[in-house]
Amino acid sequence: MVKRHSPEETKVAMHGVVAEMYDKMVKGEPPSMTLPVRTKNNIGFDSKLGVYKYGKKRSTRDATSLGSAKQLLRTLHVVEFIEQMIDAGKSSTLREMYYISESWGMGKFGTQNDSNNLAEDLEIVTKCLREDFKLRPEEDGARMIGNLTLRERNRRGEWMRINARDDVGDSGYGLPYNVEEEKIELLEHDIDFIMAIETGGMFDRLVENGFDEDYRCGLLHLKGQPARSTRRIMKRMSEEWDVPIIVFLDGDPWSFRIFASIAYGAIKTAHISEYLATPSASYLGITADDIMAYELPSDELSKKDIEALNAELSDPRFADTWWQDQINMMLDLGLKAEQQSLAKYGLDFVTDTYLPEKLKELGLA
Amino acid sequence: MGIAQKLADNQKQVAISEFFEKNKHFLGFDSLARSLITAVKESVDNSLDACEEARMLPTLKIQINKIDAKKDIIEMKTTDNGPGIPQKSVEKVFGQLLFGSRFHAIRQSRGQQGIGITGVVMYCQLTTGRPTHVRSKIATEPTASVVDIGLDTRKNKATKSNSAREIWEDENGELVEHGLEVTCRMKAKYQKGRQSVWQYLRMTSIVNPHADITFIDPEGEVHHWPRVTERLPRIVESIKPHPRGIHLGQLQRMCNESQDSRMTVFLRGNFSGVSSRSAKELCEASEIGEKTKPKGLKSEQIRSLLEAMQGEKTIAGKPVKLLNPPTNCLSPIEEMLIKKGLSKTIDSRFISTMTRVPSVTNGNPYQVEVGLIFGGSMAADKHVEVLRFANRVPLMYQQGGCLLTKAIEAVNWRQYGLEQAGGKGLPKGPAAILVHLASTNVQFTSEAKEALADNAEVMEEARKAIMEMGRGLKKHLMKKKKMAKTQEKFELINDILPAIAEKSAQILDRPIPDLAGSITKIMSAVISETQTTWNKETKMTDVSVVLFNYTSRARSYTILCTWPEKFGATLDNNEMGGRKEATGVWAWKLATLDPGERITLSYSLGGLEKGDWTETDVFYRGSQEVIGATKMDEKFLDEIRQQEKALKEAGMEIVETRESLLDFEPAEDEPSDAEPTEVVDDEFDQPTVEAPEGQQTLFGGGN
Repeated sequence: MVKRHSPEETKVAMHGVVAEMYDKMVKGEPPSMTLPVRTKNNIGFDSKLGVYKYGKKRSTRDATSLGSAKQLLRTLHVVEFIEQMIDAGKSSTLREMYYISESWGMGKFGTQNDSNNLAEDLEIVTKCLREDFKLRPEEDGARMIGNLTLRERNRRGEWMRINARDDVGDSGYGLPYNVEEEKIELLEHDIDFIMAIETGGMFDRLVENGFDEDYRCGLLHLKGQPARSTRRIMKRMSEEWDVPIIVFLDGDPWSFRIFASIAYGAIKTAHISEYLATPSASYLGITADDIMAYELPSDELSKKDIEALNAELSDPRFADTWWQDQINMMLDLGLKAEQQSLAKYGLDFVTDTYLPEKLKELGLA
Repeated sequence: MGIAQKLADNQKQVAISEFFEKNKHFLGFDSLARSLITAVKESVDNSLDACEEARMLPTLKIQINKIDAKKDIIEMKTTDNGPGIPQKSVEKVFGQLLFGSRFHAIRQSRGQQGIGITGVVMYCQLTTGRPTHVRSKIATEPTASVVDIGLDTRKNKATKSNSAREIWEDENGELVEHGLEVTCRMKAKYQKGRQSVWQYLRMTSIVNPHADITFIDPEGEVHHWPRVTERLPRIVESIKPHPRGIHLGQLQRMCNESQDSRMTVFLRGNFSGVSSRSAKELCEASEIGEKTKPKGLKSEQIRSLLEAMQGEKTIAGKPVKLLNPPTNCLSPIEEMLIKKGLSKTIDSRFISTMTRVPSVTNGNPYQVEVGLIFGGSMAADKHVEVLRFANRVPLMYQQGGCLLTKAIEAVNWRQYGLEQAGGKGLPKGPAAILVHLASTNVQFTSEAKEALADNAEVMEEARKAIMEMGRGLKKHLMKKKKMAKTQEKFELINDILPAIAEKSAQILDRPIPDLAGSITKIMSAVISETQTTWNKETKMTDVSVVLFNYTSRARSYTILCTWPEKFGATLDNNEMGGRKEATGVWAWKLATLDPGERITLSYSLGGLEKGDWTETDVFYRGSQEVIGATKMDEKFLDEIRQQEKALKEAGMEIVETRESLLDFEPAEDEPSDAEPTEVVDDEFDQPTVEAPEGQQTLFGGGN
């Protein structure tokens, strides 16, 4: 189970990684670091947690090749850097760490991606969280609108009470990158469900049409592939308030993946799936059969789309019949459609007809 | 057939200069940019030929000035240190076409039809109305003669004016001993790039490593290509025409001019490759009596003789057997000099060269040479640069239509490590490919003499040579890859691993661990590092081979290195002794190397110049693989020794090329270059025309 670590615990966990390398050298072996394999072939369903986690496959990164040796050296620099931040009570973004690595000589990062991956590696091996390491993501948090109230501790350390309907403008309440209890407390709500929306255009349409008030729901803008904090807040609302999470996305292979990362866990962060994923989330649309049923304006699947769909067929997260049917149906149709294609029938069609019909199917309206 | 030759054959006394005026496009004066290159080319060719025949090392200076940019008037001034031209001959050399002996002699030469410099004089006259100023100094006279040569294009006659004698001093105020200076003005355009005076001179300098060339461009910038060898090109022998390569007109003229009393004497005495037996057979096949006087032959008889010569008329269904012509009339540049020529002009990492054994096509001896230069500052994403030469003359136009280009395109370069779209066409990569055809009779596609005409035999020779060179490149690239891998391992154990040890110890606050064990595990190999470097101070090539034992057991090896023994190098400062294994292969038996130990082997090569030897191949004998060296193939070593022995018995020198010496893979898929040398029957002395003595005219020979 994912748990938060105190600064001392974090240091001890990181020293474990360093000690593995050190002890190998003392024994006259190449230094190494052991990691789970991070591909879809090594994720499996954890029935106790209800999410997908890394399996037993392990890979050893050892200093027998130049690339791996450099990676180990970088790891040591990162550990040292985090310790310094913990001691100084500071935090930095992953990007800042990437630039700081300029002074690490041979341990310098090649690309920003290197530093992101390495931070994740460390999380996995130490079972600590990025937040424990004082590392922040670059990514934007989501925005929310609806009759829900929470408390956020601001820069000055004061708790602010915010109602995401009455205290915010049309762009809604913007979530910070850290949505843990030390930063945000969920207070109360008067909603029946949360609707997570892929595109900004659709989010604004539902806001303008007053959908949140008419249907007693919270609206949440995912901004494409949702950031860790976005997935985490959905998880918390689902658990702490016991409200259903309804996911409304485009109808294409990439949206399927977004949903899988929300409900079952993402491959890259499978080590903390139980902390980020919301297994009870439901996929509302656009489904492959919506494209037919509503005769939506559509585009032909590209080569890449088809490849993605085929990859999903063998992805354990899509192994159930409903998903297999949806994926196969999309492949047969050869078509995909955007959320906003519903505007074919007018601006109010989505709120007056489509969503009510779909919610009824899910038993929510 | 050349224009001039055509005209000569017809014995028509049309003023050739008038013909030129109408056909100047044939002669390289068709565009303003090309006219300038042609003018430089004719002048430089003449200077090089003159120096070569006089056995002098050429020093050339070419200066281009823009006189009137609007009207495209350009002045060209070329100066050489050659023998000069006697005053009375200047007029002939510069003013009359077909002057010179080269036209009759059959051997490899630069200007083949003798229209050369006269064409320049003519072009200047036609475009600016100005005569060409010539200053010439011969060693036996105290002063230089100067004269302005113009041309009467109707009468095919030179016009001479302002003839005088003067003292010629060079820019340092010293008396010039001998030399020639040509100054002329013409309508022309100076351009830069692939087809430019600069490129022409650069290419000329590559194939004339014995020449020192200075070029001052219109902006005043000085380009200098220094002399890199003192060795002059070999003196080429003239040979008599071979029956297979003769044309009707030529045969007619030879018969008409013959003083011989009988056919057999005529045939044996005036042709190469004709024995007394084949002379008789030629008479028999052409149904001409052996005792017939050649001068009296009728034109049908001459035609019939020609058919017999070319194998169309036969005896008992078989063409008359002829010997091959001698090939000493060719002057290849030779591998070491191509290497020097290329490396002084192009910055690179690797050069491979190949000179094929001379061969014969249609009665004409020819020889193909190739060179490939790779790496350095050349562009990696563009087509390779093609450097084409015929008889040491750069070919700059019509690249696509040239046999030499086609030979490059016909090779699958992918297998040698260069990019090639669709496995056809010119390859891409940081390389330049040189192809040189030396021949007594270079066949061009047109009178412009810019592209070689198709010929299946020559093409095959060129292709073989290029493939041989490609194999050298492949080996180099593979070696480089291996070396990069070894370098990586060294970086790992020398830099990264100690850093990991230090950092982890620091984080854990523990002592820095000893790395010997980890290093052995990481490398688990014996590694050799070889360096071949030019030592500026000692003027020697220093070679060092370091052997590291990163295994857990003691190892012992014999190390073998290649060195340019054939090129006259000496093996110096060789403190480890060792012994000769074969020509160009030296071996050292090393002391046992304990785990974690290293041993350094070093020596110097003397008698070489910078750039002569830049890569040493290292081989080993021993059980454990050595990274960075190749396991010695004993069979191959035996082969070298046997060849050596055979050659020694035959009293010949080793003609093996360096590339093939090192080619240890048995070449199954590709033709081997071990072609038997053409054996020329010396039963009958080949009476050869004496090479002209000294230098009397720019075209060689005095008549």
